[in-house]
Amino acid sequence: MIRVVLSRLGQGATIVALVVSGCFALIRLAPGDPFAVSYVQENVTAEMRDRMRRIYGFDRPIAEQYVLFVRNVARGELGWSFSRGRPVAQVLAEAVPPTLLLMGTALLLGGVGGVAVGAWQGWRGDTRKTRIVGRVSLVILSMPEFVLALLLALGPALAWGLFPVTGMQSDFAPPGIAGVLDVLHHLVLPALTLALVVCAMVARHQRRAILAVTDADFVRAARAKGVPEHRILLRHALRNALVPVLTLAGVLFPALIGGAVLVERVFAWPGMGSVVVDAVVRRDYPLVGGSVLLSSLAVVMGTVLADIAVAWADPRRRQS
Amino acid sequence: MRRLLLSVALLLLASCGGDAGSERNGGTVVIGIQADADALLMPLVDGVYGRVVSELLFDRLAEIGPGLNTVGDAGFEPRLAHRWSWSPDSLAITFELDPDAKWHDGAPVRAEDVVFGLQAIRDSGNVSSLNASIENVTSAVALDSMHAEIRFAARAPEQFYMATLIVPLPRHVYGSIPSGGLRASEAARAPVGSGRFRLVRWESGVRLELAAVDGHYRGRPHLDRVLFSVSPEVATGIARLKAGETDVWDPLPPAVIGDLAAEPHLRVFNSPGFDYGFLAFNFRDPRAPTRPHPLFSDRGVRRAITLAVDRSTVVRAVFDTLAVVALGPFVRAQASADSTLRQIPYDRDAANALLDSLGWRDRGADGVRRRDGRTLAFSVIVPSTSRTRERAAVLIQEQLRAVGVAMTIERMDFAVFLGRQTSGNFDAILGGTRTTPSPSGLRGSWASAALQGGGSQNPWHYESAAFDDAVKAGLGAMDPIESKAQLRRAYQQIIDDAAAIWLYELRNVSAVHRRFVVPSWRPDAWWLTLGDWSVDPAQRLPRDAAPAAP
Repeated sequence: MIRVVLSRLGQGATIVALVVSGCFALIRLAPGDPFAVSYVQENVTAEMRDRMRRIYGFDRPIAEQYVLFVRNVARGELGWSFSRGRPVAQVLAEAVPPTLLLMGTALLLGGVGGVAVGAWQGWRGDTRKTRIVGRVSLVILSMPEFVLALLLALGPALAWGLFPVTGMQSDFAPPGIAGVLDVLHHLVLPALTLALVVCAMVARHQRRAILAVTDADFVRAARAKGVPEHRILLRHALRNALVPVLTLAGVLFPALIGGAVLVERVFAWPGMGSVVVDAVVRRDYPLVGGSVLLSSLAVVMGTVLADIAVAWADPRRRQS
Repeated sequence: MRRLLLSVALLLLASCGGDAGSERNGGTVVIGIQADADALLMPLVDGVYGRVVSELLFDRLAEIGPGLNTVGDAGFEPRLAHRWSWSPDSLAITFELDPDAKWHDGAPVRAEDVVFGLQAIRDSGNVSSLNASIENVTSAVALDSMHAEIRFAARAPEQFYMATLIVPLPRHVYGSIPSGGLRASEAARAPVGSGRFRLVRWESGVRLELAAVDGHYRGRPHLDRVLFSVSPEVATGIARLKAGETDVWDPLPPAVIGDLAAEPHLRVFNSPGFDYGFLAFNFRDPRAPTRPHPLFSDRGVRRAITLAVDRSTVVRAVFDTLAVVALGPFVRAQASADSTLRQIPYDRDAANALLDSLGWRDRGADGVRRRDGRTLAFSVIVPSTSRTRERAAVLIQEQLRAVGVAMTIERMDFAVFLGRQTSGNFDAILGGTRTTPSPSGLRGSWASAALQGGGSQNPWHYESAAFDDAVKAGLGAMDPIESKAQLRRAYQQIIDDAAAIWLYELRNVSAVHRRFVVPSWRPDAWWLTLGDWSVDPAQRLPRDAAPAAP
């Protein structure tokens, strides 16, 4: 087991290095000038832009910039974000907790909900109710996350006034437990947007996995022994049907990061989404580099954790 | 005894309520903004929101008055300097500081802070965009603690305006930061200012809170606090405004103005804007920048294309009443503007005749004119983030097609667009500029002097000695009438040269919650009157009653 984890981590490190290097090159090769954003001001001169480029080292050859970047990352320095006027590490340290809260909540709600819904659909078979639920989940899956987010923002938030439209906290949030409740109130819509997507995705896989074991020998044997249906589902069928879903979790995490970027933008959630989009638009190279490094590390870690979970759920994998 | 106690109580009440404005004091304005401030110290500010916040935190020596006249000093109102005097040769202005003016940490504002303000702009490590605007300033000297003298290289009509661009900074706070270190210093994120509002908190990318300064030398603002709340997506920013989560959004996208004007709790302000848009022709070949452009180096072609564009129709179709046809490289709100300039009219027949006379007679099967095997075709670059510019480009494309000119539209990401613009890599560009009350920006955007630094501010490479001379004379004339006459000459020259098709001049439309009493609205900087805003006591919301931050 430890060997598997170490091997996965080794592969993950290679992937992170490749992703970060590729991104480093791509963002610099993309047309656009980090210091052209001030173009609307009539008094910004070409000389000033050149000086800024010199100050941040963007006038050097890409290879030299890359060596410097790698050396700095090895020392734990991610550089200076010129668009935010702060160290990249500081920007990321502030952006990561809100994203973790959002994605963690969405994964938990969506995952548990998806397993429950999928298991129910699979166990009940082809009924009118399961068909309706299946179609609803298909509609959710076909809808881009930002459309879903906008619908939720327009309905429950704007039209009915049940939830705040944007942000993670009220502008004048009370301290203490009331402050925590305020954050949870703000969390509902963005987390629900992502959770619905996760739920729909997981439910479809879970349904298929359950359907595959409903006629399995061990299920029939349990039935023959007179084990109650709910116990057969929870104790026997579900555990066996969890493996494909846990494998999905490894893929789900990176997919969710992409969705979270858009959802965070719509709800002005102050997480990695806003940071990454702003950094790319403003060609803030150090911030793009730091964000990609962090995201790819998170994806690799998510995949490794999914592998460990699969191994836990499936003894055959553990032994192999 | 009871009578005595009653008298004392009445006296106390009277002393508490003695300030006529105290009833109007209190309240919170939440301003929705699309992006965070880039910096809060004026010499470091490049973006719009950084400017808004820093102008609330810091007072200038004097401020432009409601007439927006930047020539001379008559149109200015005292701020940190309560009076000033000119040297006999007009090459120096001595500012006498208001003795009651204090920094937010309680220290008095001193002449050495004016000197330090100039040093911060001049420090090459700070790369301040203000540098180019105050080229004429040679030095600032503290004559004593209350008198600062600003010296100039030459007399100029906007000398005083230039002096007001030097914003005093507290030397005792920032003076120990080594050269070039200001941008990265923690102190720059927690500015100690001199304005009527002080910084309470700055949650990066989320919100910025300012609170009223009690005992400010210009009087305490009526509002207790100003909160800037970031909504990166305009749609959600507008939704928050409609839901009452924010009180102000500026500027409003044209598509939502009608909807918001119908909201009973919102008031829409429509004021002259400082943005103008144009289709500029590149005078150099983007593929070989040392060579003239194969089409646009010909004045006749530029004029013919301008003649073929019905600007009124474009502006009406794209902006309805939210913009007017631009008259030149200026906006009507500038004191130097001139609405009597001779324009190149929309005249399709004249355009056809001119192109015929230039030899662009033959038309291919596609209807595009040809001369010596070359088609009369070019591309225009447009940022995909601007729906209005895209729509304007499509309309112009159709109008040009009617006279046998093929214009292809290249839509691109904003950063790519800016990169192509600054490097001069385009045939034509649908560009926009935000100008200021001062006409001095002309020099940076259209004069040939701007080409010396690589041309990124004059990326269209327009060069005209007549224009340059007139701009120089206009910006240098001491007599306002002479200055306006010279600038008129410059404007007429660039219009006649058809350096660009002057398309539109945007009106600035903003929405404000109706509970605010807004006594005045400055079109170029509405936020500067925030200190005079108050909340109608009958319409206060719970957030208006929340205590101001310590």
